[in-house]
Amino acid sequence: MMILLIGGSGCGKSYYGEKICVSAPAPRYYLAAMQPYGEEGEKRIARHRAMRAGKGFETIERYRDYAALKLPSKGTALLECAANLTANEMFDDNGNQSDPVERVLSGVDALLPQCETLVVITNEIGSDGIVYSPSTTDYIRALGKINAALAEKADTVIEMAAGIPILLKGELPL
Amino acid sequence: MVLILGGKGAGKRAYARSLGYREDQISTCPEDPVPVLCSLEELVRKDPENALSLVPSLLGKDVVICCEVGSGVIPISSQERFFREQTGRLCVLLAKEAKTVVRIVAGIPQILKGE
Repeated sequence: MMILLIGGSGCGKSYYGEKICVSAPAPRYYLAAMQPYGEEGEKRIARHRAMRAGKGFETIERYRDYAALKLPSKGTALLECAANLTANEMFDDNGNQSDPVERVLSGVDALLPQCETLVVITNEIGSDGIVYSPSTTDYIRALGKINAALAEKADTVIEMAAGIPILLKGELPL
Repeated sequence: MVLILGGKGAGKRAYARSLGYREDQISTCPEDPVPVLCSLEELVRKDPENALSLVPSLLGKDVVICCEVGSGVIPISSQERFFREQTGRLCVLLAKEAKTVVRIVAGIPQILKGE
């Protein structure tokens, strides 16, 4: 079963995603796609780690290529987040750009049969009306496409606003 | 307290007026003795570090209006990122305590909590 959580910054996506996972059977894997850039990135990761402490998650840091990931055993996984994974798949360490859509989606496809419950967190980033550089515009489009394809795969899609889940598809898990 | 969320120009103030509040009962300063506070995101922008300490004074209002600011491209500036996250977190805290949470989309109220 797959649950997609979408929302803007600071809307409570992580907290709610963890709550869903904690109510699902162990083992629980936290799939961290965010690369820790600088002090702020480390702070953010430390904050998320503190939130997860004591909730029985095994953290797997992986920035790309989820298609090749083998989870130790079948259980519950929280992938955080598709926006980071998309950026990592789109721009390599040297800044070379390529189309990330297929790689992100095949990564999720590979995770699905390895999980009883897979929760994927993603961001809504296309609603600010600002004109960005061509590569950023490509990124916005790619993530939009990925979000739509993930929503199609997911049994349940939930938008988060001010910590409140808004059901878009399926049934609320909690 | 009723928390009204929504994008810029979505019709949040108009919705507050439809609840019976007059324009002169709406202020951007929490110390003003009026029942409605609007543009909460601008208060956060002034002092994002201490944004969450606004909660007690905001809970004393009838209505709090805040722009949703977290749904664009993650800004390059760390200060802008922090502002967006603190606005979001403040709204999570307020929504927890609020009797009603409404999100306005194209002028249409979507009830997220309460009645």
